[in-house]
Amino acid sequence: MASGMQEKQYTPSLLSFFIYNPTFGPREGEEEKKILFYHPSDVEKNEKIRNVGLCEAIVQFTRTFCPTKPAKSLHTQKNRQFFFEPEDNFWIVMVVRNPMIEKPNKDGKPPTVEYQEEEILDTVYGAVVKQCYSMYKLFNGTFGRAVEAGGVEMLIQKLEKFFYRYLQTLHLQSCDLLDVFGGISFFPLDKMTYLKIQSFVNRVEESLSLIKYTAFLYNDQLIWSGLEQDDMRILYKYLTTSLFPRHSEPELAGRDSPLRPEVAGNLLHYGRFLTGPTNLKDPEAKFRFPKIFVSAEDGYEELHLIVYKAMSAAACFMINASVELTREFCEQLDGLVGPQLTLLASDICEQFTINRRISGPEKEPQFKFIYFNHMNLAEKSTIHMRKTASVCLTSVHPDLMKILGDINCDFSRVDEDEEIIVKAMTDYWVVGKKSDQRELYVILNQKNANLIEVNEEVKRLCATFTTLRTVNTAGYHDSISVMQ
Amino acid sequence: MDGEGQRATVAWETGTLAPVDRLRTERADSPTPGLVEGTEPGAGGKSAMFVHAQSFEDLTAEAEEEALRGAELDKSEEDCTEELKALEEQHNNDFSSDGRAKEEDVSSEAWRSHRKHVFVLSEAGKPIYTRYGTEEALSSTMGVMMALVSFVEAEKNIIRSIHADGCKVVFLTKSPLVLVGVSRTCQSDRELLRELQYIYYQIVSLLTLTQLNHIFQHKQNYDLRRLLAGSEYLTDNLLRRLDRDPGLLLSAVTCLPLASSARDVVSSSLQAAKAKSLVFSILLAGDRLVTLVRKKDQVLHHMDLHLVFNLVGSSSSFREGEGWTPICLPKFNTAGFFHAHISYLEPASELCLILVSTDREDFFNMSDCKRRFLERLSKRSAYQTLKDALKCPSYSVAQVGIPELRHFLYKSKSSGLYTSPEFPVVYESDEEQERLMGLYQDLHSCLHHPTRPLRSFYRCSETENLLAWVTSGFELYLCFSPLATKALAVSAVNKLLKWIRKEEDRLFILSPLTY
Repeated sequence: MASGMQEKQYTPSLLSFFIYNPTFGPREGEEEKKILFYHPSDVEKNEKIRNVGLCEAIVQFTRTFCPTKPAKSLHTQKNRQFFFEPEDNFWIVMVVRNPMIEKPNKDGKPPTVEYQEEEILDTVYGAVVKQCYSMYKLFNGTFGRAVEAGGVEMLIQKLEKFFYRYLQTLHLQSCDLLDVFGGISFFPLDKMTYLKIQSFVNRVEESLSLIKYTAFLYNDQLIWSGLEQDDMRILYKYLTTSLFPRHSEPELAGRDSPLRPEVAGNLLHYGRFLTGPTNLKDPEAKFRFPKIFVSAEDGYEELHLIVYKAMSAAACFMINASVELTREFCEQLDGLVGPQLTLLASDICEQFTINRRISGPEKEPQFKFIYFNHMNLAEKSTIHMRKTASVCLTSVHPDLMKILGDINCDFSRVDEDEEIIVKAMTDYWVVGKKSDQRELYVILNQKNANLIEVNEEVKRLCATFTTLRTVNTAGYHDSISVMQ
Repeated sequence: MDGEGQRATVAWETGTLAPVDRLRTERADSPTPGLVEGTEPGAGGKSAMFVHAQSFEDLTAEAEEEALRGAELDKSEEDCTEELKALEEQHNNDFSSDGRAKEEDVSSEAWRSHRKHVFVLSEAGKPIYTRYGTEEALSSTMGVMMALVSFVEAEKNIIRSIHADGCKVVFLTKSPLVLVGVSRTCQSDRELLRELQYIYYQIVSLLTLTQLNHIFQHKQNYDLRRLLAGSEYLTDNLLRRLDRDPGLLLSAVTCLPLASSARDVVSSSLQAAKAKSLVFSILLAGDRLVTLVRKKDQVLHHMDLHLVFNLVGSSSSFREGEGWTPICLPKFNTAGFFHAHISYLEPASELCLILVSTDREDFFNMSDCKRRFLERLSKRSAYQTLKDALKCPSYSVAQVGIPELRHFLYKSKSSGLYTSPEFPVVYESDEEQERLMGLYQDLHSCLHHPTRPLRSFYRCSETENLLAWVTSGFELYLCFSPLATKALAVSAVNKLLKWIRKEEDRLFILSPLTY
């Protein structure tokens, strides 16, 4: 066969993403008013109306059989549509094209397209849609709030501004089980160092009484948080997949590189603002910080988000949005936090290296795993390489990742402890265990092992795991009790 | 599990189960995964019985006739109407209308909460069948279903399913019909589609696809219920079977346990009672196959066989005498009818003989075949053995002697036959049986995933432990009590395979015959 006759593989991709509210254009001829956001925007008006109409029909039809639980997805040969109603009558719809293979035909006939309909997992993309909304809400508050504040026009503006950029950062081909969990990776730490961090947070909050909440991360992993879990979960997602990766490039660059931001005068510490002013000494510097919305007793509260980083340690300080932040405040914060955070960062690094040396050199393990704890959202994966803004690399075959997803679907159906062990056609063993709100998924590359040996291997892994787990859970539980 | 298989080989070769039978020498020694298809326990000695069939040449005459009729129909709309009227009359005579208790408020919670709804409609959106409630009351709902199908079709796309928490809707478009399943079970889309396929073929088996196409080509708006009136109970019954009968899940049938010597006599008696146009002779004991003799080179698809089982099992009218009914075996040929002679060997007996002929004028011929078969059979002691076997049509799992094993399904792939013990006390109630079937369906669905199939699946839950294993030769599903360990499950596989090998003469049809 000629080289130009090869099959082409296409990964799942975003076909469209839209938000509508059927109550905004209930009469015939007014359908366009329902549509609050539509991507891609250059779609012809009538087609937009038709596609929204289909979604409305699907939702309405499903109610015939299931009045209380709304439709979540529609499967068709070419694509899957995911529906989510985050607030009354507001619907978010994401349409994802199934992966496909294009087979060329002879004699200049158009190529044959084969859609792979079993590749997309509903749970994964359903979670992605929810994440989209949570991210919007983190920076803008609810849809209802925008309508209250400035009518439908204001909501349309906000949606346009946010999703235009956010949708470009969606990488649908690399979404997997971790998106379903939406967990937080915790940094394993000894008690002493943990206490040091806690006292640092207390000191800062005491000296700068404007600070309402604090979160502390090291190496993109969480150590301490004063926020509610669900707020922290989405803030963590933002920090680790968007903000930190954007700033990691200059950090990695050499000291003399033009990429490196100018370090402000004194070299007493490595602290700098990741949000707000890049250079405090700059007379033109603006002291504006992104605003975020987190849940509070009476609905939500609006906060300034200050992210301050020294080496691998990052601290997030949240201050009530009604307060105006000044140059003086930022200088004060920089002077107080900068040196301490620099010191703390090198302390943690040192401790971490010692601990690693004690636990011995890492052997090449026979297995890879994903762990998730529903109670504290702790997640750990040895399957995923480092997450970056654009891709989330995994070290196992995508089919195995999907088998993990299948097992997870199985688990989510019943609310009891279960264990599943399967052997794939490639002879890999995949084990899923759910017990006491925790889920563990292991992939074993021991092709000649039998069920009993696989079971033994997983038992050994679980034993090493308990120790690691106590450190993590202790971390989050402590932080919650401090907050209350 | 490979390691376990290996061990089994060793056990086998040390001669604990030394093969003696003539067939045994050619058969593989052990049920390991490496074993060649056709040598697993239960594999038939000759070629397989139930595989996809080619079109049957003898039927072309009828197909041509059908086409001729079609040509006539083309002439005028009026002719068509008349033709339909004739058909309707014929069908109304065929099916005695059993009144179904279907009056149900279709907006009520009770109607909504049925485990599984099935709807059949025409491409014009006209209701044809609903499992619950009446078609009239659901005509607008079915109209919406059709609208959804056509809307997606207009985008050169095909609608597959809608998912909500705890409820899914699956669509199957089989022009000129559309089938919709609504389920509250955990069944996968694929399992539901398989069930809708069955329903589709059930309808085709009553009308042939050729006729179905004709009708709708000439009158898009035709109300097919006029033709199917009185036959709904067949679909109702098939749906019940789908929930309960492992055979429909496994694409296999199960046999009446019978000594092979007796079965061979029954088979040869049936073989001797042949006729020119006879294609299949099937002897049933309730839902179990006693034997099947077929015309050389003709094979019966398991789906067709299940449709025949369903026809026989759904109707008591065949008990009243010799039945003669046209039946289309859609997996064999969707274009034409066979004619089936259906009768019980004795009035109160479970034994039902089905003689499938290609000739619609063949009733007396078939009746004669039956007489000859009975004559031969009565002369032998085998008939008594057969009647005795009817007294214990199944076996209990305790006979296998594996602790904590509650139930299992074993399918020999090459013969298309499966064996399974009766349900133990824990699964005695209908709900529990359906739940267990649901679990098996789940395992089946995972193992046979179209893009990521699995070799084995072990699930440990609070109510039971399950193990499923597929090789090129067999499929095995085991259900243990939750107390069973993994080690026990692994050793149970070997024990069970040995047991089945030992019992295969009785449990399977090892030497199927042709005329």
